[in-house]
Amino acid sequence: MASSVVLVPSFMKAFESLDPRLFGYKKLVVIQLSGGNDGLNTLIPYRNDLYYSNRPGISIPKNRLIDMNGELGLNENLSPLKALYDKGYLSIINNVGYPNPNRSHFRSTDIWHTASNASEYLDSGWMGRYIDQYGKKPYTGIEVDDSLSLILKGRTINGVATKDAKKMFNNAKTPFFSKVLETQTETHLSEHNLGYLYKTMVGAKSSAKYIYETSKTSTSTKSYPNNPFAKQLKTTAEFINSKLETKVYYVSMGGFDTHANQANRQSRLLKTYSEAMDVFVKDLEASDSFKDTLIVTFSEFGRRVQQNAAGGTDHGAANNLFVIGKNLKKPGLYNDSPDLMNLDKNGDLKYTIDFRSVYATLLDQWLDASHSKVLGSSFETLDFI
Amino acid sequence: MTISYMNQREYIHLNWRAGFGAFPSLIAASKKLSRKNSINLLFEASKIIEPVQIDLSDFGDYFNTPYNKLKKNIGEEESRKLRQKSQKKVRELNFIWLNKIASSEQVLREKMTLFWANIFVCKDTHILHTLKFNNTLRTYALGNFVDFVKAISRSASMLKYLNNNRNFKKKPNENFARELMELFTLGIGNYSESDIREAARAFTGWSFKPNGEYVLRASKHDTDSKTFLGENGNFGGDDIIDIITKQRACAEFICTKVYRYFVNPTDDKDHIEELTAVFHKDYNIEQLMRYLFMTDWFYEEKNIGVKIKSPVELMVGMQKVIPSVFKKLNQVIYLQKMMGQTLLYPVNVAGWKGDRYWIDSNSLMFRLKLPALVFNNAKISLNPKGDFEATFNEFYKEKKQRFSVDDNERAYFETHYSKWSFNELSEILVVPRIDVDTSKMLKAYQSQNSFQYCIQLMSIPEYQLC
Repeated sequence: MASSVVLVPSFMKAFESLDPRLFGYKKLVVIQLSGGNDGLNTLIPYRNDLYYSNRPGISIPKNRLIDMNGELGLNENLSPLKALYDKGYLSIINNVGYPNPNRSHFRSTDIWHTASNASEYLDSGWMGRYIDQYGKKPYTGIEVDDSLSLILKGRTINGVATKDAKKMFNNAKTPFFSKVLETQTETHLSEHNLGYLYKTMVGAKSSAKYIYETSKTSTSTKSYPNNPFAKQLKTTAEFINSKLETKVYYVSMGGFDTHANQANRQSRLLKTYSEAMDVFVKDLEASDSFKDTLIVTFSEFGRRVQQNAAGGTDHGAANNLFVIGKNLKKPGLYNDSPDLMNLDKNGDLKYTIDFRSVYATLLDQWLDASHSKVLGSSFETLDFI
Repeated sequence: MTISYMNQREYIHLNWRAGFGAFPSLIAASKKLSRKNSINLLFEASKIIEPVQIDLSDFGDYFNTPYNKLKKNIGEEESRKLRQKSQKKVRELNFIWLNKIASSEQVLREKMTLFWANIFVCKDTHILHTLKFNNTLRTYALGNFVDFVKAISRSASMLKYLNNNRNFKKKPNENFARELMELFTLGIGNYSESDIREAARAFTGWSFKPNGEYVLRASKHDTDSKTFLGENGNFGGDDIIDIITKQRACAEFICTKVYRYFVNPTDDKDHIEELTAVFHKDYNIEQLMRYLFMTDWFYEEKNIGVKIKSPVELMVGMQKVIPSVFKKLNQVIYLQKMMGQTLLYPVNVAGWKGDRYWIDSNSLMFRLKLPALVFNNAKISLNPKGDFEATFNEFYKEKKQRFSVDDNERAYFETHYSKWSFNELSEILVVPRIDVDTSKMLKAYQSQNSFQYCIQLMSIPEYQLC
């Protein structure tokens, strides 16, 4: 331990001595199905003729889905989710979106990440602002990837990205990098931008060390499917099960931009998603962490109701969102099915629940935060947890 | 008046802000130059407008036929192939543009072009339109701002990006009018929602031909009377731009951006006010920049070495010392993605915020390792984010890169840098005063050759600043 005393200037030690009990034990994992998952072929309104007439080539027949309530059916590739649903661990919120929906991946992801209006541009993410105000350490929020997304960038503190704690640890302790820090006495760290850079370096190194040393003891015993998304979830489970103080995790899974030949492509993606999720939940349950973990899955937008000429669907608007957890207040289908009669002028689903109401609920009722402080204004909260 | 020569530190500061660093042999020569002469040389070199170029052969009728008509003529499959080819060319243009920034003699013009690209933020997948837009930035970079805004407003890329090609008398689309005022000229608080609606009407029917040429679709244009920022008339788009630029708020908005980019990320109200007074007179960008570089406050210690380099500034600065960074398209895209700034692919119309927004734990570790990665064949197995449009396998594909310095590039370095002492190298390459402890630490590396020493210099946090 002696060496860490030399390495970490005292202003950083304040970061390290925080009592985890101050923050509770609850963890939030947010997963983005990147590219825009087609919600209508995920949760299928199989009694609705409009669904079939709009999608003659790609609609899913009644006999190939998992009935949920006599009206909506889950894509058969999501069968592991049905098991969660039966246990009351899954809540699906329909028609989540925002006013004046933007159909660009970049912009709509921006909006979801920053929790902004469609007409404003914010420079920080909602999970980043949560770190600013609540966890106050870079590793309060981890993105399981090699670079950090806007969602985890705060105003004063940013989260950390890593999909391999050992790799990050090794990157942060190259001889020269360490040398610069070892020789630093904090008296020189006061200048504006230069001080900021040194402090960020110290924070990066200290976070890398903390994450690696805390999580290296926890190796998952569950057998995950062999693909990069499952790997991300496995890493997330290892972090959570090692009792890392991290509160919020962000994972993005790619491939959902199905403009062409959607049927097979989306089937494979949903299968990959649900099989990995199944093991992930079991892994958390085995370590008794599942009761303190909530998993939310969203997409930057849904897709157009009407299929296109290439056997795919184009960018749409409102979409469904999955909440997975042990103590859900309203498991199953949270609200009404999408209204296919009443589309917007682009032929897309209209939202009935603002995505920021979902965030507000997560912040207030799961993370013990005050949502208006993080989101910048007040939103109606929902009743799913 | 006595002529005072510029000191080396001032000269390096000027050249980092007006360009991408100071070339060592010029630093020696500059010792006989006054501030005014140094500035004159910068502007003289940038007098020429040298457009960026890209090979656009084998596109058939793609550039002069509307897409729907093209599909009828040559079929959907062939049309789609051309569209994909066009998209790929935009990626190639990123590479060509970066190389131009690093190698052009018109250093100031390229720096200004980069600056304006983050004011008039635009993204397009059509290579011809993108090329024209980029060259419009370059053409007007030191010209008249009012003409500049008018040219930008007529460019196919911008008309598309902000939906003005769908702004019709019967169904106005306010997107362009809103961003024109909010992000390009006035800033929030200097106009009303009603001004946006009226301005949008004035731009109805502004559109473009397939080749990117501006066209006014008269039948879609609203010629009726509009009330805009307190004035009344049958305004067209140019009138709106004239009225906007009459406002002092417009000059102040641009001068604030100029100050933060060229002087200091933290505002100084008096200095911005001083610039605004100069700019509002005639909106002559060259005169504004000459004025700025001539002020005494520009050379004050508090303004030197305080700006966090953008990823592009960082990469170009390194390329100028050891010209091996920009060899392969994929490598250059990889570096930009890892550091969060890919030219021609801005995140949104508000552009990159810059300065501290470039920095988080991950991006900083990457930036500090960059010299070792690029010049010392260090291994780094990190992947940039996958694209939204990617398939699952593409999204997760390993994209790590290996870099190398070949004999010619090494010889270039030896020719230009090896004759300088370690102290001189440090003064040339690192703008801010080096932290005392870091400075001591660097001494331990002085047994190495100057190539290795330069790599160490570029790896300290101070090198991140200019």
